[in-house]
Amino acid sequence: MRLLAPISALLLLAGMSTGLLAFQRGGYSDDEFGNAREARTYSGENENGKSEYSWSRLRYTAAGAGGGGYGYGRWSSWSRDYPKADRQFLIALKRLTRIQARPVEQVVDLDSTGPESIENFPWVYAVQAQTWTFTEPEAKRMREYLLKGGFLMVDDFHGATDWEHFMNGMLMVFPDRTVEDLTDKDEIFHVLYDLTERFQVPGEQYVSTGRTYEKDGYIAEWRGIKDDRGRVMVAICHNMHLGDAWEWADDPRYPEKFASLAFRLGINYVMYGMTH
Amino acid sequence: MFEFLFKYPRAVFAKGDLVLLGGWPRWALVLLVLAAGAGLAWLIRSKMPQASPHVRNWKAGIIWLLQFALAALLLLLLWQPAVLVAELRPQQNIIAVVVDDSRSMIIADAGATRQQQAVKALEGGVLDALGKKFQVRLYRADARLSRISKLDDLKNSPPASATRIGDDLKELAGEAADLPIGAVVLLSDGADNSGGIDLDTISMFRSRRIPVHTVGFGLEQVPHDVEINDAVIAPRALADSRLAAKISFHQQGYAGQKAMLTVRDGGKVLAGRQVTLAGDGQTQNETLLFNAGAAGARTLQFSVDPLPGEENKDNNSVARLVNVESSKRRILYVEGEPRWEYKFIRRAEEDDRIVSIVSMLRTSENKIYRQGIADPKELADGFPSRVEDLFPYQAIVIGSVEVSYFTPAQRELIQQFVDRRGGGLLFLGGRASLADGGWGASNLADLLPVVLPNRKGTFHRDPATVSLTPVGADNIITRLVEDPAGNAERWKKLPYLMDYQEAGTPKPGAVVLAEMTAGNRKMPLLVTENYGRGRTAVLATGGTWRWQMSQPIEDQTHEEFWQQLLRWLVTDTPGAVVASVPSQMLFDDGRVQFSADVRDKNYLPSADAHVQAHILGPAGTAAEIDMTPDPNSPGTYHAEWTAGQPGSYLTEVTATHDKDELGRDVLNFARMDGVAENFHTGQNRELLEKLSAETGGRYWKPQDVSRLPSEISYSEAGITVRDTKELWNMPIIFLLLMALPSAEWLLRRKWGVV
Repeated sequence: MRLLAPISALLLLAGMSTGLLAFQRGGYSDDEFGNAREARTYSGENENGKSEYSWSRLRYTAAGAGGGGYGYGRWSSWSRDYPKADRQFLIALKRLTRIQARPVEQVVDLDSTGPESIENFPWVYAVQAQTWTFTEPEAKRMREYLLKGGFLMVDDFHGATDWEHFMNGMLMVFPDRTVEDLTDKDEIFHVLYDLTERFQVPGEQYVSTGRTYEKDGYIAEWRGIKDDRGRVMVAICHNMHLGDAWEWADDPRYPEKFASLAFRLGINYVMYGMTH
Repeated sequence: MFEFLFKYPRAVFAKGDLVLLGGWPRWALVLLVLAAGAGLAWLIRSKMPQASPHVRNWKAGIIWLLQFALAALLLLLLWQPAVLVAELRPQQNIIAVVVDDSRSMIIADAGATRQQQAVKALEGGVLDALGKKFQVRLYRADARLSRISKLDDLKNSPPASATRIGDDLKELAGEAADLPIGAVVLLSDGADNSGGIDLDTISMFRSRRIPVHTVGFGLEQVPHDVEINDAVIAPRALADSRLAAKISFHQQGYAGQKAMLTVRDGGKVLAGRQVTLAGDGQTQNETLLFNAGAAGARTLQFSVDPLPGEENKDNNSVARLVNVESSKRRILYVEGEPRWEYKFIRRAEEDDRIVSIVSMLRTSENKIYRQGIADPKELADGFPSRVEDLFPYQAIVIGSVEVSYFTPAQRELIQQFVDRRGGGLLFLGGRASLADGGWGASNLADLLPVVLPNRKGTFHRDPATVSLTPVGADNIITRLVEDPAGNAERWKKLPYLMDYQEAGTPKPGAVVLAEMTAGNRKMPLLVTENYGRGRTAVLATGGTWRWQMSQPIEDQTHEEFWQQLLRWLVTDTPGAVVASVPSQMLFDDGRVQFSADVRDKNYLPSADAHVQAHILGPAGTAAEIDMTPDPNSPGTYHAEWTAGQPGSYLTEVTATHDKDELGRDVLNFARMDGVAENFHTGQNRELLEKLSAETGGRYWKPQDVSRLPSEISYSEAGITVRDTKELWNMPIIFLLLMALPSAEWLLRRKWGVV
């Protein structure tokens, strides 16, 4: 028991450090969160990351970080569920498809250049999008990235207020394009799995509360922004938390049916992004 | 001068045979000449010790040579040399005088028209001199040969639009079979627009031993002129295709100046470019790129805008026909794994209204995702295993797929698709492509335009930069910028490829259009080759998609490249019926021969089809002709027809077998009268000299033609006598007899031995 106090202190310190890392963006460098770090920490195959597909997570400037922002959602960030959700999803992707995917994720920024440039990763995943903010150059780059053939999947934001703030950023990217509901007829739900029976995929809170929604996001919404040819450029998963489902898929307490749908949805979105 | 020294005209020596009239044997002459030479040599050598030291060298040889020449000449005269030559009998032979009366003969390039110069030459005593010894028949030659009674008929008649020297002479040679024609005199500028003079015509004159004397008129080089030699363009194109026309031209008098090169469709300018003119007389080649536009028969006019002071502006332009087709072309794209290249190729091709991609993508181990299919059954069972399922496509693209994915029957089908059906086949680089996919060790290795490395591990996910070869800089597939040099520079600036694959070495006959560099190593990137009736290519990368993602949004490089590559792959893929004519442009001659290659549903030659050509032409011309099978070439059919009127003609060839239609094809051609005569307006001396040399005649300049009547007598045609011309009394002999001893005496005196 004499060790209880030092251990508690150590755990507390570790927890605070992790929290700080998760809530701030400016404090991170590529060395800390970029490929190099992941290559060091990940012991799986193909560590050098030379694969056809790289799961790319968008790192954006969250509202409130660095003293600015909207004053809401301060505990959210681009790195929610990161990196476990990403890696568990990649395991499923590799196992269930012929996509040669890199086992470790890639963090991309809208101001990156060189080999890390977002244009080298035509599929990108963003979470907690109600906190994102763009500068004009970033919004322009995202818009052109999508119009040239890039694909954006947005996940883990809930309720009317989150939607409103998500749209603040989205309207900077596409001021004139409308968000529309994706229906069973949309090819994105059939490209690999036929996903006509979809339901709300809850976050990890379901394990402790049995509640599938967060905030006032009672009904799951599959929405999208399409290009002039009707191809989905932005796939919006509102009122659901697929990232948590991937992250907690190995937890026996988290229902398999949610994890299963989350994987299938994610795989379909990746497959759609690689074919349309 | 020649006749003064040799007593007889040059023709006597050119056409006669040397004979020795003396009764002594010829061997005796040879023996005596040799003996004289040897005797003189012995004599000079024996006297050498006493001779002056100045001549104990080569000078003694000169003395010997002069003495020997004199002795040999004297001995030859003892044997009475003479020339035996055939000579036309006076008043019993006909001389055919043919005057070119085509439009080019009205060009004035020496103060008078060429025709006026010809008439003047004849009226200046030639006709009278000929008339004293022979019967003279006058002919005018244009599109056909016609006889005239006097030169005034020539002056009063309008010039014809075409000349066919070959045909006209052939007609004259036929006429000569019944007439004692001793020689032909042709007064012309040599501008023939029916393909020149064929060997048949020449052999007809040679067999009858009729010499054709030609008198050339017109400047051999026009001082100020730009003339288009040719415009080469594919006769068929797909709607909205980018077309490349190679235009060759030359000029005189404008070296270094700027000129505008344009292509027009009707009055609409499709493309134009300013060019700097090359040196005088040099052939200059330029390429014009333009859009083929919508479907239909196009008459394109390629021209160099006239320059100040140009005398002949009608040769600045040529017309070419292009049949722009709108029939849809479908490409089957087989991809073994989801990858970015697949997506971006499909996106690049989506704007193409003619070419569409039908793709099958192996998304998981047991699932194929199909895109672009026409009906739910298409490719439902995977890659086709039957001819009727595969051959409707015009091309196949094979992505990152191992060769083992295909059954032996499917592999055989792919081979036949290219070889027999004439389809296109493109291999892409990828981790299961080319050598890594086992293609090099398969029976389909023959199809590849490269010899693949004999190992695995040739695919690398590392960047590679690209560049064009000189051939690629000027190729329609890789053309991003019109100017070849600018195009090569543009390619160098393209974003690097995301990956590359070692494709090995190009096969003989393959064309490397683009290369890539990884590290310090340069490798082929895009290689093409014709195989059987089709064509194959290798693009040794799966990473061109960066050209789309890493360039400004308005940049169209990726789309243009892929559309051009895929269009090349399908454009020449034939249908079951392919109709053709030797030349789409008929100049002044409406005869045309149609050919058709007819295949059955399996694309095997169909030898027992019913093939018809349906022709529509100007002023309501319509004809329907049956085409007959070629016994030597199964599946090939021919028919001949004559387009009577100038204008454009559209022909549809249909083939049926047991009431089933095998296929149909459309081609167009045009007859243009009076156009070819505007080209090559300078005197074609080469043609005239060749004609006279081949027939035993002579080429004459107008200023020398007064001597023609005296030479024309020596001919073996018509009614002739053999005349013996003795040579001993030629002035040249007397001069030699004087000159040889005189020269020896002078030399001896100079060298101090006299």
